[in-house]
Amino acid sequence: MNTLIKDIVITGYSAITSAGSGIEPILELLRTNGDALIPVPDDVPGGLGQRWGKALSFKATDFIAPLKARKMDRCSQFAVAASGLALKDAGIDLQSIAPERIGIALGCGFGGVANSAEFLAGYFNGGVNGLAPMLFPNTVSNAPASNASIEHGLKGPNVTLVQRFCSAESAFMMACRFINEGRADIMLTGGADDLMPLMMAGFAATGQLRRYAACFGEGSGILVLESARHAALRGVEIKGVVEGISTVGLLPKGNELEGVDRLLSGSDSSDVVSLSGTASENPLLVQRVRAESSFDLSRVTGRSLAMGGVSMAVQLACLNKRRTGLHLAASPEGPYYAIRFSGGNPVQS
Amino acid sequence: MAANRVVITGLGVFCGVGKNSAEFSSSLLNGNSGITALDLFDVSAFPSRIGCQIKGYDPLDYFDRRSARKLSRADQFGLIAAGEALQNSAVNGYYSPYEIGVSMGAGAAGMFQSEQWLRAHLSGEDSSPVLLRGILPDKTASEIALRFGLAGYQGTITTACSSSATAIGWGADLVATGQQKAVVAGGSDTLSLLTFCGFNSLKVVDPEPCSPFSLGRQGISLGEGAAFMVLENEQDAMARGARIYGAILGYALAGEAFHMTAPEPTGSTAARVMRDAIAAAGIEADQVGWVNAHGTGTPLNDVVESNAMKLVFGERVARVPLISTKAMTGHCLGAAGAIEALATVIALNEHIVPRTLNYRGRDPECDLDYCHDEKRQTDSIVAMSNSFAFGGNITSLVLGI
Repeated sequence: MNTLIKDIVITGYSAITSAGSGIEPILELLRTNGDALIPVPDDVPGGLGQRWGKALSFKATDFIAPLKARKMDRCSQFAVAASGLALKDAGIDLQSIAPERIGIALGCGFGGVANSAEFLAGYFNGGVNGLAPMLFPNTVSNAPASNASIEHGLKGPNVTLVQRFCSAESAFMMACRFINEGRADIMLTGGADDLMPLMMAGFAATGQLRRYAACFGEGSGILVLESARHAALRGVEIKGVVEGISTVGLLPKGNELEGVDRLLSGSDSSDVVSLSGTASENPLLVQRVRAESSFDLSRVTGRSLAMGGVSMAVQLACLNKRRTGLHLAASPEGPYYAIRFSGGNPVQS
Repeated sequence: MAANRVVITGLGVFCGVGKNSAEFSSSLLNGNSGITALDLFDVSAFPSRIGCQIKGYDPLDYFDRRSARKLSRADQFGLIAAGEALQNSAVNGYYSPYEIGVSMGAGAAGMFQSEQWLRAHLSGEDSSPVLLRGILPDKTASEIALRFGLAGYQGTITTACSSSATAIGWGADLVATGQQKAVVAGGSDTLSLLTFCGFNSLKVVDPEPCSPFSLGRQGISLGEGAAFMVLENEQDAMARGARIYGAILGYALAGEAFHMTAPEPTGSTAARVMRDAIAAAGIEADQVGWVNAHGTGTPLNDVVESNAMKLVFGERVARVPLISTKAMTGHCLGAAGAIEALATVIALNEHIVPRTLNYRGRDPECDLDYCHDEKRQTDSIVAMSNSFAFGGNITSLVLGI
């Protein structure tokens, strides 16, 4: 499935990850071939001998008023903080933009699970009297996007998606569509994930620590998408252009090559490739793409379901004018996404 | 939405008032409610012990033992309803697998099983890891794609109670823009301790069957189920001789940016979304015959939705019935929007406005026409379906025949 993208530019991005706040700490790790993965503490069930990408330096109150931060789950805190940084990066003055013209489409993997577990633990341990009503609203996966919309006053389209390791890419595609069909001038998009000790127990129980949940990470990567016309009116620096999106849901046995052709049609060659989710473990995809350079943040800041938001932000930071980027994301059984970017302002170049 | 008319060529539903479209239609036409005592888990500690559970459900009636064990309750419901819709449309095999997608709305997903794992884990007991397989809401869409060989778009929207309405709107957009030849769109969700405890802790569950827009209503009755529809371009559907049940004329969505649980009291954002959906459908507000409300039965929701109706329809509002089918199905959370969209299409085909059940008396703050007395004959060919959610997510669908 190919989506024609018309005149959508990226005017800002940022991230909160195990590497710290912003994109620069991740770029530095890529330059030095380093990583921000640390050993899982011994007291975390299932975590013995594992490494994870915990955002230990993240302090919610650096970005959110303490009373508000207390009411949010950790995933929401990531999304609110990263959204704020991305809006700032895009130079957006929210007072000068009609709130219904700016929205958010966010990929969110395990968002809500932490609060769900804590809320249920209260019931299992203390019965009805153990229930903490304040925890319940943030058990929904859309809490991060909604909290971000409340904090920043975004009254445009608001949606949360999850589709395995392509959650952020699913949201990205929808955000582009909302701009192209005129529902919004600006869309925040990307992903948010949190990682709590109980998840390690779950990963261990299901055998995923030896597979796709090894070196799991957390954080949020947000991009500011904007119609080219709106960005031009604001006179803002353009950091990249969305050139196209392709996706397939499955690569059915015996019919895989057609799927790969549909996914990579016209985009298998690129200056910079970001591999996200489990793309680097899929030989059909990896053998097909050609690039000057490539990176996979799974090995740098940790893999997570909505890590595509961070990966896309990093890719854009790597793209100079006239250079092309391909973001390739995959999940073990699908879906698969190929998103093409070009760097810089095409008008200026 | 683009100019291509997106039509509905298959319907499937599995919920407490019908285990297929025919049974569901019968309940809708006859005003049957499925809200009764719950026995899926222990509810004895709560003031409300009722809901719209799918009673007498045995997974082995639908799945082999191995599959049943690996699939969450939500996955099972989704597969059953999506399977009915696909069979009903006979679309599978007509297009390339890559041209048929899945657009799914989900809520608590496999929480019913996952919370059993958590309880055992907290008690230090062994528990089967298979209980965790469905913890993520995306699993149902993946299972539908795998089982029916749908290799096109695969996505899951998780905006709580508006999820599946958005999934239908988005699925229709994928067809309207020619990106997919067909999309099976809908949602699935189940009762779980998480949501039952949660809504009870917020004191928004009515101990009696919910009574939307009535005096003395105290809140929701929870439900569970799944509903899906197959969406295609009208020309393609006609070319293959498919039965056409109706059309998705347009949709809109927004976030209120107001509060995580409380709706913005004036209903202004809800009204904006309804107006945007009408505009997306390319029609005028006076072409909308009636509205299938979010209509949860909470004191606040029903007033806000009534306010929004007044802002959208102005002086005509008294002649635009606002009905709720939640007194029939319970609030099916992530599946609610899809089940209600399906109810809307069925009612349009039957030329009726469904009755809002469980009337307890007239609330002065809910002063519109809610069809509390009886279902009503209508010649309307366009209706809307509203879905509101935690986080302020609002979606409106415009459906027609």
